[in-house]
Amino acid sequence: MTPVIRFTNVSKRYNLGLTRTSLPSILSQWVKSSLGRQRGMADKKIHWALQNVSFAMEKGQSLALVGPNGAGKSTILKLLAKITNPTVGTVEVNGQLSALIELGAGFHPDLTGRENIYLNGTILGLTYKEIQKKYDEIVAFSEIEEFIDTPVKRYSSGMAVRLGFAVASCIEPQILLVDEVLAVGDASFRQKCIERIKSLLNNGTSLIFVSHDMGLVRALCERALYIERGQLQASGTSAEIIDMYNRVLEKKRIEKMSGLDKGMDEANAGIEVTHVDVLDVNGNIIREARTNQPVVIRVKYTAYKDFGKANAIILIHRSDGLLCCNIRTHLDQFSMSIEKGEGEYFLKLDPSQLFGSMYYAETWIMNSDDSDGIAFGVSEWFEVRNSIQGHEAHKAVFEPNRTWGQNRVTHNDRVTAGSTV
Amino acid sequence: MLTQTNNLHKMRDLVWAWTVRTLRGRYQQSALGWLWAIVQPVATVAIFAVVFTRIVPVDTGGVPYILFSYSAVIPWTLLASSVTDMATSLVHNMNLVGKIYFPREALPVAALLARLVDFLISFILLVILMMIYQIPFSLQGLFFLPLILLIQMALILGLGIGSAALNVFYRDVDPLLKLVIQVWFYASPILYPPSLVPEQWKWLYFLNPMAGIIASYRDVLVYSRMPGEYLWSAAGISALIFVAGVWFFKRVEYQFADIV
Repeated sequence: MTPVIRFTNVSKRYNLGLTRTSLPSILSQWVKSSLGRQRGMADKKIHWALQNVSFAMEKGQSLALVGPNGAGKSTILKLLAKITNPTVGTVEVNGQLSALIELGAGFHPDLTGRENIYLNGTILGLTYKEIQKKYDEIVAFSEIEEFIDTPVKRYSSGMAVRLGFAVASCIEPQILLVDEVLAVGDASFRQKCIERIKSLLNNGTSLIFVSHDMGLVRALCERALYIERGQLQASGTSAEIIDMYNRVLEKKRIEKMSGLDKGMDEANAGIEVTHVDVLDVNGNIIREARTNQPVVIRVKYTAYKDFGKANAIILIHRSDGLLCCNIRTHLDQFSMSIEKGEGEYFLKLDPSQLFGSMYYAETWIMNSDDSDGIAFGVSEWFEVRNSIQGHEAHKAVFEPNRTWGQNRVTHNDRVTAGSTV
Repeated sequence: MLTQTNNLHKMRDLVWAWTVRTLRGRYQQSALGWLWAIVQPVATVAIFAVVFTRIVPVDTGGVPYILFSYSAVIPWTLLASSVTDMATSLVHNMNLVGKIYFPREALPVAALLARLVDFLISFILLVILMMIYQIPFSLQGLFFLPLILLIQMALILGLGIGSAALNVFYRDVDPLLKLVIQVWFYASPILYPPSLVPEQWKWLYFLNPMAGIIASYRDVLVYSRMPGEYLWSAAGISALIFVAGVWFFKRVEYQFADIV
């Protein structure tokens, strides 16, 4: 089967500097260089938005593009949509393609919703007849029947986005490109859009999806590409790539935090966290645990002076950024005191009850009234596996200790059954 | 986005929708609405009529000055307004060009069609004026009029599409074009008949395709005669400009989205 999309060694260059040189700027350059101030340095900044990217996609697949801002994801979409052309390499697209890159970009504020449906539809490549056929469906989907003869400039932004999505998605293309457009609109409309995209996928549409919302990526895409600084860094299932992306984000956050921490250290010059480790009950450092096993988070510190009464916080973060728990000595009425020298404190979670995913622990040593942090540290990533492996493993937050029960009344007896895990 | 075979068919609907958008945008929330299409040439002709019949009389060859002038002002207005509109049609819609793929030529072509509608409206007034002055519609007129209009459209398309593309790279095109059109106005037989041009300079004069086009409009409309040979030189030059403009547009089209 030939792939519906194939990128072969694609690179895209943009000129960031002046795209054209104006006469006054040439003159001033000339004056400057003749005065010997500047040696003919042309204002030509070149930016490679994509470098040597290759990938292919089969019909009916759903692929997410994941990566930080400015990684080149939108450039890939623009190349696919033929809005722009590659500087090097080839882009092949087989099949009718529709791009939801900018919803409502073709709307004219002075025209009514009805007029804009026709205008925007033709821009997206529909004929008048096709739009006429789908008109009722578009209006129903956008939920703006009563405003359909009102100029679009009087619409709220949510209304405009709804209309834009309704027009763009009624095309039923073979290939659908969706860029961060679902971020707008309320939750119920967003859900509706997701359902719509899913039903297109079920009908054989191939999807390329760009979003910073990893929940959406997980819900819509089987596979993903990780892109950073214009290069394809990794390709895999969306779960793998999402994990990778989240780790990169968290690493950046931690680097930023430890930057703050250093500043704090200099100010206080009194204490530092040297290690944050995750242990099993036997005191061995582990990188993997099961939901139903206990884990111990142990923090080692070095104090250079006496602090007396102090507090500690331990936070556990999941790889998608969710803060799973926030546990404070202050609130648990556990009293800690820190004297000059080395020491450690620990928190035992028995069992961890964390659902299968990647986690890390973060700790803060706080002053005596829990109002200010004086030291900070983070652990390595550790993975928790569910006690029971399941298909929908990522779709939960925690796995509590639990008891199932059932009561039944039959015609002759009352039966009680139970099972504790 | 579209398969190439469907491109033209789909572009037709897009051009039409965009033309309607342009017209609605221009005349919505204005009290006179489409009457503006007439107000502009009528006001121009009124001023000319005062100056060139009372102050500096011009030899019109026995034709009422108002008709002489109006029959030239409306094709000129078509050219001047559509070429300036077309030149900015891409730049003014850069947000669209940078975000959605569609046949880019749809924008300048729709800008022209919207002005063509104005032209047709003002043409109705010309017919009314001809009836008032009892000038018969000649057979030559009926036969040649579409041809002259076609030649003029080729000229406008070439100029407008070429300028639209060039304007993406150099915004100087827009003000420069306005300047050129100002000069061009006096180089065309609008205020005066071409017979005022000395015989030995006629060849140079008719290198200006608008000279031949406007003179031909007058020939068939107000003088009820065959257009002069200048129509054929105008046709040749217009065809050249059309090919050059479209060729340039197609050549640089792929860069538009990158230069916003």
